[in-house]
Amino acid sequence: MSTKSVLSDAREVQLAVSLIELGARLQFMEANVGLSRERLIRLYKEMRGVSPPKGLLPYSTDWYMTWLANIHSSMFYGMYQFMKKHSDEEQIHVLIKSYRLYMEQVESQGGEAVLDFTRAQMMVRFFDSDLLHQCTCTRCAGRFVTHAYDTRQDYVCVLCRPPSRAGKAKLNKTPAAADSQSMYPTSATYLLDPAGDSHGLH
Amino acid sequence: MNTFKDLNIGLGDNSKEITDINLAYLLLAQRLIKEDCAMAMFRLGVSRELADMLGAMSLAQVVKLAASNTLICRFRLGDHMSMSAVVGGEKDKSLQQAHMSILMGGRQMQEAALA
Repeated sequence: MSTKSVLSDAREVQLAVSLIELGARLQFMEANVGLSRERLIRLYKEMRGVSPPKGLLPYSTDWYMTWLANIHSSMFYGMYQFMKKHSDEEQIHVLIKSYRLYMEQVESQGGEAVLDFTRAQMMVRFFDSDLLHQCTCTRCAGRFVTHAYDTRQDYVCVLCRPPSRAGKAKLNKTPAAADSQSMYPTSATYLLDPAGDSHGLH
Repeated sequence: MNTFKDLNIGLGDNSKEITDINLAYLLLAQRLIKEDCAMAMFRLGVSRELADMLGAMSLAQVVKLAASNTLICRFRLGDHMSMSAVVGGEKDKSLQQAHMSILMGGRQMQEAALA
């Protein structure tokens, strides 16, 4: 502890403050911030007024495939990947900045951030360990989050071909409603299709 | 005589408007780059080199560059397919914005890969 420079210590605290503001979990901060667990907990309590949440991190990749979550995840990952590739910042700062950009984009439209920071950070990990991939939509050429084993040539994204219940889940504004929706389009989706096609052609 | 004059004024207005937009764009770009380079690169869709160059330009250089009768920034949803995917359909505003945001991310990557 005494060998550490005061400046770098201040930088670590600043980093922890930014992460707590964004809602990072303690497990993630322990791995990425050079501060002791005790100090992180103290900082967390001071900022939020409560103890950091315990429990496992969300480790399901299926969450990212539900309709609204997939849109938000794809949006965030596009930003993250762009910055990671084109700027020379450290990964943790790229994560923070792209998450802020994502929040700003969502909030400017009056929506709520469906993808929380922990999900965003887990998604980056899933991409790094090849559990998730990006697929290019054949209609709009946008890149969307998909399962790694689900790479199809004729992929059409959830925005060009929304599942039939998509609008209803959005109206209710309950993430749970989006969660309960099947990850595969139901037969009703294909009934909507002709309408989607005519938009693409004209 | 009268029509010629009118035409002349019309063209002058257009070119002034373009100059104004160029200037506003360049000044905004400079401010964004100075605030945070990585975020500005995403918002503007420019490479690191270009961002550094824009950020380092003096006011005199910016004014000189802006004074043109052509726009200095380009339309970023450059192809008909992406454009109709974003605009078409009965998507609500926030979904449309989300779609555009996704397309922008991919687009910049593609362009950067080509360069």
